[in-house]
This record gives sequence, C-alpha cells and structure tokens, in this order.
Amino acid sequence: MDGDGTTGLQRRTFLKVLGACGVEAGCSPAHAPAKLYAALTPEPNVVPGTPIFYRTVCRECAAGCGVTARTREGRVVKLEGNPEDPIGGGALCARGQASLQRLYAPDRIRGPMRQGGAGGSVAVSWEEALSRVGAAIAGARGRAGAVRLLTRPETGLTGRIQRQFLAAIGMPESGRVAFEPLDLAPLRAAGRKLFGRDELPAFDLAAARTVVAFGAEFLEGWLSPVELARGFAAGRGKVGPSRTRLTWVGPRLGGTGASADAWVATRAGGEAAVALGVLHWLVYRSHRVDGLPPEAAALRPIVAAYDPASAAAAAGVPVAAIEALGRELAERRPSALLGPGLPSSGPDAVELAEAILLVNFVLGNVGRTVLYGLDPRLDIPARAEEVEALVADMAAGKVEVLLLHHADPVGALPPGFGAREAFAKVPLVVSFSDLPDPSTRLAQFVLPDDHPLEAFGDVSPRAGVVQIDQPAMRPLWDSRAAAQSLLDLAKLLGLSALRAPSYALYDHFLAAMKVLAADEAGKGGDVEAARRAAMERGGFWKRAAPAEVTLETRPLAPFRMGPPPAEEGVPIVPFSTPLRGGGAVDAMPWLREVPDPTTSISWVPWVELPRALAERLGASTGEVVEVRTGAGAVELAAYVAPALRDGCVAVPIGNELSRLLPAAVDGASGAFLWAGARATLRKTGRTIVLPRMSVVAEPTQEGVVRWVSAAAPAVPSPEASEQMYPRPEHPKHRWAMAIDLDRCTGCQACVVACYAENNVAVVGPELAAQGRTMAWLRIERYFEPAREGAPGPGMDFLPMLCQQCASAPCEPVCPVYATYHTAEGLNAQVYNRCVGTRYCSNNCPYKVREFNYVDPVFPSPLNLQLNPDVTVRSKGVMEKCTFCVQRIRFAENAARDAGRPVGDGEVVTACAQACPSRAIVFGDADDPTSRVSALRRDSRGYSVLGELNTAPAITYLAKVREG
Amino acid sequence: MAAAAGIRQVQAIALQAEDRLGLGHFALLLLSFAAVVVGGYAWAWQIGHGMVGSGLERPVAWGVYITDFVFWVGIAHSGTLISAILFLFRARFRTAVYRVAEAMTVFGVMTAGLFPIIHLGRPWFAYWLFPYPNQRHLWVNFRSPLLWDVFAVSTYFVISATFLWVGMVPDAAALRDASAGWRRRFYAVFSVGWHGTSEEWRHFTRSYLFFAALATPLVISVHSVVSWDFAVSMVPGWHSTIFPPYFVAGAIFSGVAMVVTLLIPLRRALRLEEAITIHHLDMLARVVLFTSLIVTYSYVVEFSLALHGPPSAERATLVYRATGDYALLFWIMILCNSVLPLLLFVPRVRRSPAALLPIVIAVNVGMWLERFVIIVSSLSHDRLSYLWRVYHPQPIEIAITLGSFGWFFFWFLLFVKFLPTLSIAELKEQVDHPSVAQMGLVDG
Repeated sequence: MDGDGTTGLQRRTFLKVLGACGVEAGCSPAHAPAKLYAALTPEPNVVPGTPIFYRTVCRECAAGCGVTARTREGRVVKLEGNPEDPIGGGALCARGQASLQRLYAPDRIRGPMRQGGAGGSVAVSWEEALSRVGAAIAGARGRAGAVRLLTRPETGLTGRIQRQFLAAIGMPESGRVAFEPLDLAPLRAAGRKLFGRDELPAFDLAAARTVVAFGAEFLEGWLSPVELARGFAAGRGKVGPSRTRLTWVGPRLGGTGASADAWVATRAGGEAAVALGVLHWLVYRSHRVDGLPPEAAALRPIVAAYDPASAAAAAGVPVAAIEALGRELAERRPSALLGPGLPSSGPDAVELAEAILLVNFVLGNVGRTVLYGLDPRLDIPARAEEVEALVADMAAGKVEVLLLHHADPVGALPPGFGAREAFAKVPLVVSFSDLPDPSTRLAQFVLPDDHPLEAFGDVSPRAGVVQIDQPAMRPLWDSRAAAQSLLDLAKLLGLSALRAPSYALYDHFLAAMKVLAADEAGKGGDVEAARRAAMERGGFWKRAAPAEVTLETRPLAPFRMGPPPAEEGVPIVPFSTPLRGGGAVDAMPWLREVPDPTTSISWVPWVELPRALAERLGASTGEVVEVRTGAGAVELAAYVAPALRDGCVAVPIGNELSRLLPAAVDGASGAFLWAGARATLRKTGRTIVLPRMSVVAEPTQEGVVRWVSAAAPAVPSPEASEQMYPRPEHPKHRWAMAIDLDRCTGCQACVVACYAENNVAVVGPELAAQGRTMAWLRIERYFEPAREGAPGPGMDFLPMLCQQCASAPCEPVCPVYATYHTAEGLNAQVYNRCVGTRYCSNNCPYKVREFNYVDPVFPSPLNLQLNPDVTVRSKGVMEKCTFCVQRIRFAENAARDAGRPVGDGEVVTACAQACPSRAIVFGDADDPTSRVSALRRDSRGYSVLGELNTAPAITYLAKVREG
Repeated sequence: MAAAAGIRQVQAIALQAEDRLGLGHFALLLLSFAAVVVGGYAWAWQIGHGMVGSGLERPVAWGVYITDFVFWVGIAHSGTLISAILFLFRARFRTAVYRVAEAMTVFGVMTAGLFPIIHLGRPWFAYWLFPYPNQRHLWVNFRSPLLWDVFAVSTYFVISATFLWVGMVPDAAALRDASAGWRRRFYAVFSVGWHGTSEEWRHFTRSYLFFAALATPLVISVHSVVSWDFAVSMVPGWHSTIFPPYFVAGAIFSGVAMVVTLLIPLRRALRLEEAITIHHLDMLARVVLFTSLIVTYSYVVEFSLALHGPPSAERATLVYRATGDYALLFWIMILCNSVLPLLLFVPRVRRSPAALLPIVIAVNVGMWLERFVIIVSSLSHDRLSYLWRVYHPQPIEIAITLGSFGWFFFWFLLFVKFLPTLSIAELKEQVDHPSVAQMGLVDG
C-alpha cells in the first residue's frame, strides 16, 4: 500500500514508529521493576466484543414476561423479550426495558445500612446488620404477630422461603401480607361470586373479534400488558370483518382508548352502568340473539333496573351508544370485555366486574377468550383490610419486627391509612428494598436485595408456567438476594426447617429447579438435561388447559347501585400510563424523560382538565392548579385535555394521586379504592413550563396519519414526479421498515428500547421543557375530528424516526459530508465529522435529527449500561436513528462468517424487537421475498410526506376505520 | 488659482478631519470595545457549555446567529455597489461617500464572517469547512449551500478589502507625506511606496477599473448565494426561486440605509458637510427608496404565489408568518421596510438629515427583522404540526449580537480616526476648474 505521497512517511512506518515510541515510554519504569503476569486463560464466558445472552425474567410488574439479557464484558447492556416465552412472546414493555436503569440506578442502596438515630444512615457490615436483626427476631420469636412481613406477591422460591421462615420462628400464616395496592381484587371477587373461582382470568385477545375495555388500560399496564397487546394486535392491521374492533368505555381517552374504534364516554364511574345496560340489552333480547345460553334469560331479573335508557342516564351516555355496543357484541363474536381498570376502580368496581363477566358469559366468551383456571393462585395479594389490620397492629405497638420486601405502603397508599405514623411505633423495621423508597427511608436496617438480573429465583405468572430468574451478571454492589438474607438469618437463629438442602439460596433454587425438571422430564427422563434446557430457554412452560366454568346456580341479587354521590367538586379519574405503571419510577430516568404518549408530558405529574372545565376555571396548560380533596391538597400543573369528558379531572398514578385520596377500601372485594374521590380546583396564579414534547394544543393528523376502510382499502399513492438526479443504487441491501399504524398502540416500548440500545442521552426536565430531548424515535400524537357521539377528538399515534430517505434532504446540505447515503440505503451520520451547522435538521421535513445542546451526562453507574457498540455523542453534534446499524453489522458479519446471505428477519432493530404488537417490521427492501417488501407493496402502505419525493425507507401502513 | 485653493481645501478637509475627533469618539470606541468584550465572553461561555444557552430548539435549529449573519452580509453589500458599480456607471455622487461605504463593507463582512462560526455546534472544527488537502482524504461537500457561503464570504472579504486598500493608496501617500513619526511609518505601509508618478497613476486607474469590474458580479452573487442557504432547502417559506433577487435587493436596501446611518453623524462629527453634501444624501435616499419598492414588491409576489393555487405548506407558513406568533415582528418589518421609506418620495425628507436618519435606522431594524422572521417563523411551523414550537432569543444570543455591533463599530471608529474617510484623490479630480489640467495638478 502506498502512502498518500504528501509526506513521504507511510502510514505503516508511522505506526511502527509510534508503536516503538509507545513501548519505549511504557518500558521506562517509574517504580521498582516488577514482573507482570498476563492471564493465560481469559475469564470464562467473557470474550471482549462478543455479547452473551442470558434468559431471565422481568420483575417490574406481576406479569412476569421472559427476558433475554444481553451482556457485554460482564455487564448487562440491554433487555429484550424472550421470543420463546409464552407470556411476553419476545416483546418487552417500556418499564421492562427500563429495569436496566433500576440495576444501574445511582440511587441504589449499595450495601447494608443502619438508619435513623444520631448518625443518620450509616453503612454497616452484613454480619452486624444480620446479627442485630437476628437478635430482634430472636427476642420476638414465638409471640404470634410480633414479626410481620409485608411483601410484594412472590409466586416462587422467595415466597416459599418467606413462609418457611415465618413458620420457623413461630409466626402464623397471617404474619405474611402480600401487598399489591393496584390489585384487580374486584375482578377476582366477581369471579368468586359468579363462577366460584377466586382468581383472575387470563384473556386470549387473539381469539376475540370485539374487545370492550371498561377503563382497563390493557395496552398500558393492566394485568399483563405485553401479552394482551400481542393478542390484540393479532386481529389488527387488516381491513374487513375479521379485524378486531376495540371500544373504550370511560371518561378519559388514554393510551389504550386512543387505539379504540369507538369511545363510549361515560361520566366518571359510569362504566358499570354501561356494562349493565349492555347486559340488559343482551338478556332481554336473548331470544333474538343467536346462541345465547339458557342462563341468559334467567339473568333478566337482576338487571331489570338497567334497561338501556336508565343505564344510559346513569352512565351519562346516549341510549344509542349502549344499544350499538349490545348489537355489536351480539353480532361480532367471540368478544372479550375487560375491566375494571384503574380509572374504573371506584365503589362500583365489583358491580362492573360482575356485569363484565356476565356479559362475557352470556356471549360464550368465558372459556374462549376469558380463561379461568390459568391463575396459579400461588400468592394472592392480601385484601386491603388485612393491610389495614397490619397497620393498626403496628400503630398499637403489637409488631416488634416488620420486614419489608419490595413493599412501600408509605409511598403507595394514601396517607390516611396512617402507615407513616404506624412505622414510628415499630421498634425495628427491616427493608430488603434495593431503592430508597419512602418506607425504606423509615427502616432501621436496610438489607438491600439483588436486582433480578443479579440473583436466582423464579416467578410463576400462569398455571404451569415457571419463569426462571437467572442472574446475568455479578452483583454490582454489596447486595444480597432477599431470600438469601432470610436464609442467613435462619442460619443465625438456627432454624433447621430451612437448613435443607443448605442455607445457600442457590441450593434451594437448584432443588426447586430439579423438582420442576423431574416433572418435565417424566419418568426415566434426564432431569439434569431438562433443567439445563429450561434454564437456557428461560423457564418451564407447561401448557395448562383452561377450566370449564359454570355460572353459580344460586340466584343472584339484583344489581342496584346508588346514585352518584352529590358531594361537592368534580370526580378524579385516576389513570396509569405505559411509563408510570405502579407509579414509582423516580430511579429510572428513561421512564421519566420519555413522554406520556397522550399528553407528551415528561418528568412532572400533571392534572388533566377537560376543555370546558379549564375554560370555566380560566386555566390553561402549564398553569399550576391546586387540587383539593377531603384527604389533602396538591399543586399540579394543568394540562387541558381535548379527549376528556367534561365534569371530571384526571390525575396519573403516583405519589400526588395518593395524597389526594381518602383511606378508602372496598369492602366487597377488598380492593383499595383509587377512583371516586372528588376534588375542588383553585388556580394558584403560578405557571410552569411543562416539559412537553409537543406544545401544540391539538396537532392535526391531516395527510400525516392516513386511513383506509373497507370501502376504500388502499391509500392513493402520490403522483410520481420527475427526478432530476438518479436515485442512489443499493447493490446489496436496502434496509427498510414498515410500521403498521393500525397495530401501534403508542406504548413507548420502542422508544425506551431505542434509548437503551443507542445510548440516547437523558437531558432532564429543564432541557425537555425547551424541546431538546434526544429521542431518536418518538411517538407523535395527532388529533382527529371527534367521532359521532364522542365528546372530544380521537387520537392517532405515529412513530416517527429517521426515514432513511433515498433522496434525503439532509444529505446535500451538509458542508462536510457528516451525513451521507450508504450503499445499503442508510443515511449515515458521522459524529466525528459533524461540525454542528444544524442545516440537516432544518432541511429534514420529518425533524428527526437531534442536536446535542450539551454534553450528555450518564451519572455513574448508569454509564455501565452504555452499549459498547454505539458511540456516545458529545455536545455540538447532530445525531439520529441509524436503523440500529450495529445490529445490521452484527448480522452481516455473522452471515459472512457462516458464508451465507443475511436472511430475512435476521436483522431486528431495537424498536422492532421491543414492539409488543409487532407493528414494526424490518428487513431488506431489495429482497422481494422479505416481509418488509411485501408490506411495502401493501395497499395500506404510504410514505409520510411522500409527495416531497424523499423516497423514505419507512412505509407506514394506514390505520383502518370501520364502517 | 481657485483650483489650487480648492485642492488645498480638499486636502485640508480630509487631513484635519481626524483631529476633530475628541473625547466623544474615544468614549464610543470604549463603548464598542466593551460590547466586544461582553459578546466575546458570551461566545466563550457558549463554546464551553454548548448551544444550550441559545433559544434554539427542535424544530428551530437556526435563529439569531444566522439572522445576524445575513444582516451583516447585507450591510456589507452597499460598499461594493457604491464604489464599484457606481464607479463603472460614472455616478459622480459616489465620490464623497464611497470610502465610508467600502470600509463599512469590509467591516461588515468581517462581522458577518464570524457568525457562521459562532453558530456552529463545534466551532473549533470550523476549518473543516475549507477544502484543504489532508491525509484522511476528507473533502467538503460542494453541493451544500453552506460551502458556497464559505467561498462567497471569503471571496467577498478578500476582494472588498483589496479594493478598499487599492483605492486608498494615493490617499495614504498623501497622509504619509503630511505626517511624521509612527504615523508616517504606518501610512508608508499602506501607500506601498506611492510617489504619484504618471506611470503609477496609469497602473492605478487601470487596476482600479479592473477591480471594480471584478467586484461588480460579487454584488449580485454573494447575497444570491446567501439566499440559497434558504432557497435550496425544502423548508416551506424558504424554498422559493424569488429569494436571490429578493435578497440582493434587500441587501442593497439595508446596506445603503446603513451607509446613510453612518454618514449623517460622520459628516457632522468630522464637519464634512461641504464634502458630503445634502445632494449626496439625497441620491442615497433615492437608492433606499428604490430598493424599498423592490423589497415590497418581493413581499407581494411571495405572498401572492403562496396564496394562489391549492393549499400548500408554503401558504400555511406565510399565513402563520403574518398572523401567528411572530405577527408583531412581521408587521413592524412591513412598517419599517415598506411603509416608512415611502416618505422618501418627498424631496424635503430626502434632503433633511434629521428626517432621513430615523427612516434609515428603521430600515436597518426592519431588515434585521425580515431575516429573523423568514428564518424563524418558517422553521417553527414546519410540515409536521406535532413539533411546532416558538423560538425566543436568549440573553446569550442578544449579547453576541450586541457584541457584533461593538465589533463592527470598533473597527469603523478606528478607521475614521486613522484612515481617510474621503477619497482625497478623487475629490481633487473633481475640483471644478478648467485650468486644473493645464496646471499639471492632476497628476499631483
């Protein structure tokens, strides 16, 4: 190879000289010479530059999705769904993705701590902490109720060890309280009453043609969101009668409601009346509706009071809405009615749940789409009364030692329950929490738990399904699995019940796995092989058959709900978002920075006001409003919500909502009451700049989000115009993407996955408020004109990312070739070459290029999460979606090593991988047999702003409008 | 003898002018230097912390800095127009004012040239915009209008600075001969050994003509290129073929207005009323009026084109510009650029410095706003409505803008003090007497 001839020094010579100089410099000893020994055998399993994948399970919610953890050089850098797993099916929601930030959270408790007293929080040794806690437990041993354990539901090994431990120290079964403040107790109670089954049903939405959600945010966090979204998506993205239709019932059109084809906008708490009205419509027409069971007619007396007219009046909706829903359910079967969810979890939640189950039953859904017998019933959350009783015992001084296992009653419950005060009366509170939540801050000892990615364990979210929690890396800090801490205490106290097989958690785990493996291997099978296979794939997945369910024969009492309370104020509609989930997201910056899909707000809580109410109050978006209830008052920034029915306000789940709620429990189901509180509003006169991605009140979707219908199933393609320049050629591949807008639910899983995969910086609330977030992929939310009968506009989601145009407007304007078109159809962005003119961003009609206004900060140890395959950018350069070029190269290299072409589906971008509804398909557009090629030819396909002749590599598949 | 007296008078006016600058001049110099310091500090902060101090945000990636750039390039325009084009057209009124105009041009380009660097995300790599040979074989993108800018502005700077200097050589020689000490050495450098021989005069007049001819196309090209930054893009409100002539007219408009803005106080401070007469101001005011009409016509055409035909992003942007968040600025711009200059139809206004000055200052304000409104309102309402945002300039941008004015006036004030603001040689040529040639004074 020649040098370039300009200096006479060849590159190779230069490198030789440089190398020699380096050796010279390195050899000169600064200290006394010492001999270094290199490891002849490298660390096992660690090959620099090569990822290792471990199968494990997500513990962010109770759904228990299987996870594939990608590790690099001994640390986890990305979480993805486990494609073999029967629950998540390979996808992972936003919260699951962000579990990684819990692992690397700077706030994580890094070792055992003693808190309170004069010294504040001090680090102590495990020996000291365990001996102090052990001494206290020993002192309380045998006195029933003196040692109590408040835990999140633990369906596996941890739960068993907890029970054994309490039993071994002489505590009754009631000493352990499984705490789940958002438990769907009303649904369980209704199942118990109607079918004699004290359990939560599973829902097979793939089998349903009609889905009706009564406040059930099943695409965002309800029950098992990834599984439900996947099932729901199976029936979406097609034109014609087989498409699944979704109706949303409730006052607020949230993320799930936005995907609905119809919106029955009830008053707050009116969902039950709608369900009963529909039930009435069906059972009184049972002779005219085909195939209703004989029990249907027998149900007439109990819904007699809810003829459609009365029900409509009670729900505050037109009669036609109820009749239309009844007709649709009668015609489009099978269906699935879901509920109640957080927004409909008020005093009528049990009635709502019963009505929903009865409609499901008379339509024959139970056993087809609504499946009983699949709840493992291994750790049913305690009734709210039991939690109340525990708090009362604590306040009365009966509890000497309280153990907290990922349960935060102080933070999660309304203050009226008195948890904080009761904590002060307990001599010793021990928390196993990994993060300093409000309850843990009140504990005397913290014995920090490992992150699920650091420990062994298991979860059983479904009958027959055991998800194996396998560590993917060594613990980052001096933490210990909570179950191991219990075993250590058991050893200290000499509890022989826990001695077998040993006091080591791993031995217990192995024993448990062997039992499962023996069951799977069958008689004479290779147990060890079965165990290894299960751990490699991620779990034991035995398909359980749903149970046959019959309606209890005992006559049911007629439904009679009281009139809505005539108290002062407007009802508060609580809701969750795909990012907030249970509410505690402070430790996970991705979940705080990624905007809520419907409002585009990030970082701060807010209160949603309907337009009319905002007008009466004289408040506009960003004004701080005091929301006051009987329980308390909080100040929240107002957001004027176009798609919220007048006569209520909406507050997202979280600490602020808790502070507004009274300490109310639903006696019928044992659920905490989240809905039904009433508030009065007052302007404070202050205004804040809300961190919002979109500051436009109602961006319109015209021309951006397209629709097709059965009558017009194709999107008209724009007239092809003359090109002055030839289109670039792509000799090997042209990477392309198809995004099905009819399947997209706006759940933000892709966005968080993109943050994780591509080292996208989190900029914080100030910069977010200035419109300077760095997301390479965003879910744009547009409003469409109100449908018939709806009090507000509908919402459409549009995932927007770099379109990798063939004629990219960004490319010619860059003066330094920092962006250019590659031979594989990508718009490459060379960060090192970028000088930051930002012209590319101006010229990009999609505005998908993000400029680094500051040097990105990844507070330690969050920097350990950074993907080593992706450059971390610096201030002053432009960045954007690369179509996960590192994954493309990975697949291409693997294919080249194997001497074969890259197969379709081998390259999966992070966003496509994460998508629960499989709305994103990635592949080679030059390969006519690839899935993406087929979708690009789909009659629903179109390019956003295609009339500009940018020839994007992304094809959007239009939404489908029915009827 | 009247001619000789006239020539002496010209020389006296020119040479003594600087001595009339006193404390006021020094205070102004200090003030502009202070502004440079403030602006420099702001820029240093920006380099250290990134563009976070600016009001820029998605989707508005260009704001005050590019506005300033276009504004100063526009200011830089009239110098060449007055000295080169009017020279070629033998418009005699230019003689008294062209030196000031040329100096303004050079300092205007010097100011404008800073902004493309200031606005960069990584200004320390600004040299990457130049096509220089390097071992990594990296090259610049000649398709990018920003690169054309680099060439346009640097060419314009080189040509206008050379033109200014060449035209000044005989005057510098005159000053050299009239001064002593360090000043003599200073002027000696500028005059490059000029002795006033007829050979030198022959070369001088010839080269001056060539330079004028060379500089003339730049008047059209530089601002056309600057307008292509916008016209070549596909941003609605920018992407328009009307932009080059529209921008050139706007540049001459603002540039001549700036010349008048500078001349009125200058002729008073230096007592040059006899050299820079009301007639000169009148002629310049006519240029301002004429270009104002062209600019107004461009506005009308721009809006008419967008409002005809089917609804388009272009129309939405222009309607937004006139009625949206930036409407106030837009209408101030219309007032300053299209309405107030109409007063110049009245000869009395044109011939009254007191009336002229507010009008030309308003034109300068209006032209700055024009660039701001074009750049910012178009970007903030791009095609996807989801991301629309309103841009607010931040203190750091205002500080740097003030600093740029300080920078410009600092140089200009130094120029006024140390270099001849009038072309002594050309004024001498015009001393109106038939005997001038016979007396052999032309060559002297």
